[in-house]
Amino acid sequence: MNDLSIDLGKGLKIANPVFTASGTFGYGDEASEVVDVNRFGGIVTKSLSLEPRIGNPPPRIVETPSGMINSIGLANIGLEAFLREKAPYLSQLSCKVIINIAARTEEEFCDVIKALDNEKWISAYEINVSCPNVKEGGIAFGTDPDVLRHLTQKLRDKTDRYLIVKLSPNVTNIAQMAEIVQECNADAVSMINTLYGAAIDIHTRKPKINTVIGGLSGPAIKPVALAHIIKARKVIDIPIIGIGGISNGEDVIEFMLAGASAVQLGTVNFYNPCAIYEILNFIEQYMTQYNLTSLQEIIGQALV
Amino acid sequence: MKCVTIGIVQSNQKIADQIFLATIEVLEIARQCLPGQFVNIYFPDSVKLFPRPFSIAGVSGKSILILYKVIGSQTTLMSRWQMGHQIKLLGPLGNSFTISEDKSIEYILLAGGVGAAPLMFFRDELVKRNIKPHFFIGAKTKSELPIIEDDKSDLILTTDDGSKGFKGTVIEHFEDFLKNIRHPVSLNVCGPDSMMSALKNISFPDNVTINVSLEKTMACGLGLCQGCVVKTTSGKYNGHYALVCKDGPVFNLNDVEFDE
Repeated sequence: MNDLSIDLGKGLKIANPVFTASGTFGYGDEASEVVDVNRFGGIVTKSLSLEPRIGNPPPRIVETPSGMINSIGLANIGLEAFLREKAPYLSQLSCKVIINIAARTEEEFCDVIKALDNEKWISAYEINVSCPNVKEGGIAFGTDPDVLRHLTQKLRDKTDRYLIVKLSPNVTNIAQMAEIVQECNADAVSMINTLYGAAIDIHTRKPKINTVIGGLSGPAIKPVALAHIIKARKVIDIPIIGIGGISNGEDVIEFMLAGASAVQLGTVNFYNPCAIYEILNFIEQYMTQYNLTSLQEIIGQALV
Repeated sequence: MKCVTIGIVQSNQKIADQIFLATIEVLEIARQCLPGQFVNIYFPDSVKLFPRPFSIAGVSGKSILILYKVIGSQTTLMSRWQMGHQIKLLGPLGNSFTISEDKSIEYILLAGGVGAAPLMFFRDELVKRNIKPHFFIGAKTKSELPIIEDDKSDLILTTDDGSKGFKGTVIEHFEDFLKNIRHPVSLNVCGPDSMMSALKNISFPDNVTINVSLEKTMACGLGLCQGCVVKTTSGKYNGHYALVCKDGPVFNLNDVEFDE
């Protein structure tokens, strides 16, 4: 058994570098019959908002080459039902639990954090400033540098808990956004959220997604994610949690070599819900093959 | 309990134009699945990533039956499956059709083409309990009609062109049949969207309960992605979106809306 653990700083140590990505794994309980959730280093829950959201009308998803476009619209049960119905399951997990939070206003973000700050089982917050599929809030927080700075500062003042800001690729200069997050003393960035994407049915001559433009994910975006991570790594020192089309162990190593300290699995949960087992096996073998004592050794190694 | 497992193709027979019936040995699913439930079949394809959902059309020993129509590259691949071929699948998924305690209820099964799949399984379950359902199966023409061996139910075939069975749509023929029904009825339906919409336009007597099995593009089949939603109007979802993969695929017709 190799040591796959990663220290993300500020007391957050994970058994392995693989998380689930928000919105691709529900609240963990839905998949628990199929996969041992505790095999992940941690799970990131579906975006949680103060009030319940019913989400966008169908069609919400479409398959595209080596990927998919989604426009779910942050459908979720809301804070109150979350604490009542999901917290009992999540709080007994042995892996780390990160709560992804979405909101329309700074105040809403603060209200959710205030309500969660006493829940001892939560390891970190991931702030969603990059959802492309909602009219208010969402991506607006993550595309304007001043708005991002104001929000991150405010949330940093609000909580001592490990704070991750999830960045959008739909910006001109992602490195600048990562720098802002670091300057505001957040603990890590996760990147990337989905890219803008669209698809049209040539027979009905209508968009295949109700909101016309949605978020593209899956292996199709992997090279884009790697490029963004490399750009960000050059300007920040805080950990980067890599996201974007990871589907196997090779991809995890590639992201770590590009500068990610950990990764999240997203779309792959849909077409290979047991990918985590194969990935951990691969990392074990890789460490043995290259005689690594700690996985931390390879973080950003491709850039040195 | 749902599981990801390996199934072994036992047979894969063409039964109509572009329609196949596959028998897949997969004990973990066969021993626990219910009529109306479905499986996700995974394909080793790096371009089209989603698994494809298929209703379970019956159980035979350690195997499940899959009735499918060839419409795209994945089903074309399926049509070439040979005996012994191994496939990865997830199941059983979703909810099921229900059988009432009320012995006076008459069961009517209404299938459009390959929509017969979940109803074949439901028929088997009814027959096991000594209930003989009326099983309507309709298609455009004779060559597209999934002919299934059936001496267990009252099988009524229809074709739009009259080349086999009654001439007309399965809905038209069923409406005539409905006029003579006096008992409370459990109507169970699976077919194309056009058939479901046509059902919405029929005024049913109060003693007819209508359950429909829906199909939507799905990514995960587990309720993770929340992609396969249907708008609800009433019932337990109270106007919210319900997940076809997890809350369905079987819904009360009155609870769902089709004109999205």
